[in-house]
Amino acid sequence: MTPAGHDWLVLRLEAPMVAFGGVAIDQVGVTRDFPAASMLTGLIGNALGWHRTDTARHQNLQDRLIFAARRDAEPVPARLTDMQNAQLGKTDRGWTTWGQPEGRDGASYAAPHRRQRDYLADLCVTVVLRLADRPEDRGPGADSLHIEEIEAAFHRPARPLFIGRKPCLPVGPIAQGRVKAATAHAALGCVPAVYTSGDCRALWPVGDGPSDRPDADRVVALADLRNWLTGLHGGTRMVVEGRVTAQMAPAAVQQGGAP
Amino acid sequence: MSAPRFIQIHSLHAYTAVLLNRDDSGLAKRLPYGGVMRTRVSSQCLKRHWRIEESDPHALAKLDGFVDSFRSRELVTKKVLRPLDGRFPAEVVKALEAEIQKAVYGDKGADRKNRQTLLLGAPEIDWLAAEAVRLAEAAAGDPAEAKAVVTEWAKSVKDNLKVLREQTALPGGLAAALFGRMVTSDPAANLDAPIHVAHAFTVHGEETESDYFTAVDDLWEPGQDHGADTIQETELTSGLFYGYVVVDLPLLIKNCGDDAALAGRVVEHLVHLVAEVSPGAKLGSTAPYGRAGLMLIEAGDRQPRSLAGAFRTALSGSDLDQAITALDDELGRMDRAYETGEARCHLSLGVALAAGGEQGSLRTIASWAGERVVDAAPEAAA
Repeated sequence: MTPAGHDWLVLRLEAPMVAFGGVAIDQVGVTRDFPAASMLTGLIGNALGWHRTDTARHQNLQDRLIFAARRDAEPVPARLTDMQNAQLGKTDRGWTTWGQPEGRDGASYAAPHRRQRDYLADLCVTVVLRLADRPEDRGPGADSLHIEEIEAAFHRPARPLFIGRKPCLPVGPIAQGRVKAATAHAALGCVPAVYTSGDCRALWPVGDGPSDRPDADRVVALADLRNWLTGLHGGTRMVVEGRVTAQMAPAAVQQGGAP
Repeated sequence: MSAPRFIQIHSLHAYTAVLLNRDDSGLAKRLPYGGVMRTRVSSQCLKRHWRIEESDPHALAKLDGFVDSFRSRELVTKKVLRPLDGRFPAEVVKALEAEIQKAVYGDKGADRKNRQTLLLGAPEIDWLAAEAVRLAEAAAGDPAEAKAVVTEWAKSVKDNLKVLREQTALPGGLAAALFGRMVTSDPAANLDAPIHVAHAFTVHGEETESDYFTAVDDLWEPGQDHGADTIQETELTSGLFYGYVVVDLPLLIKNCGDDAALAGRVVEHLVHLVAEVSPGAKLGSTAPYGRAGLMLIEAGDRQPRSLAGAFRTALSGSDLDQAITALDDELGRMDRAYETGEARCHLSLGVALAAGGEQGSLRTIASWAGERVVDAAPEAAA
């Protein structure tokens, strides 16, 4: 495909409560402003009916994923902290597939485990994504996942879809059709916004849109990659944080023009 | 329509002068939505009350007898041992069979009648089936060798199977089949929850009151000192809450040991629990009991979506008819734009939901939902 005409799948992530998990170090589950590459990988894998144990497929998808995201609303207050109490016991045990039960370490189980989870309230984020066309993915036995399969899976997903955490259930269809554009940044500009028009905050990969002013604010090394084999997050990728100009959608599109 | 894959349950519940769910400051949980602050009940609070409910006639614990009468005692035979037939010599399979049954169900487990009722889901069955194949291969066609390896195996996984029995025994096993289980770091042994529950929130702006109260000594008599009574404040809120639940039917059926009839009963009970069980705290002082004013059930295979958008523009108050009309408008807009074709039925204490299919009682809509589950897996129901 020529660079002038990549096909981008458009997703609308909208719900009263959404979580874009960031780097967590303690009982506080933070949220970022934009979805992580690992989260979108999991969301797509979930729609396709993959299992947590399908690590190679997830890794390959994350490696091929190219996306940009735009915030279509900037509600105030932007964040909501939910407090959860979980009753954990020293004697809690579970069976495992390696043949020995696993229990809990540590000693302080007299009081409930208290943890905080941050959410973004009343959020609407538009995502455009495509899969890198790599030579190693062609030929017999290679991973042949296409954007069309992902789009079809969003319409009839294998499981209910959620945005970041399980209670974050979308208010409408996530897949919103496709657009053609040369770069991720340009693709975002093609998608009308539901709640706003003009400059919206956005994030795109370095090289897939402008890296200089006026559109780009800063270039950062973003830690949003998961090593699906070990189950741990690690590594960074370079992204641009900036803005993209969006047109307000006509009323018909606001109510969901795409089938 | 193709076989349904999801059941979606939408509800409207009214509560007056209650404190259903608090944060760490003691105030009601909240949600800013559409520029207006709402009162919120968290997903984990709702699930906990549905899970631990005991007194409701449709509590999950009351499905014990139903599970007992079904196929749970034959799961290892059907899903772990019979697949070995034909792949390995009959004598080898026979040597493995009794030992594996005893290892899973306990010392008397070789006899079906003495087996404990365990609800083995896909992770348990997958692991046991893989272990059985590994043992059969290790026996290399020799029944005596099979006996030796399976005895050695049973000894080595004794602790693991003891915990597996504790986790899958009823009623906990049934709660785990619906609400999931994430105890260990082993993703292959954890049970994903087939139920997805959104945080419930009021369809209008928060209605809140700081309730000033004192506790005084009623037994005081003249001449005694006045002592120290207590003066406190608590927050009370009122509201009409929108709630939303999705059930992933294929996963629920799997977690129920491929028993679609049992999964259907679980969904039927869940519909009752959503409509009837209060997520309330402060039971003695606020009596937070109430039944749903509206229940809408949808069965379909398109991407589940909540109808929370109907209330993004906050309603002016907690009028049930106004909320049902807003929900109906949203459902109509969704249907016109996306034509997703869900089958529906509903219960209403107010106006009818035009886009909501047939209207019925809680009993009829719950049993309708249960029947859709059996539709979801015709092969498993047979």
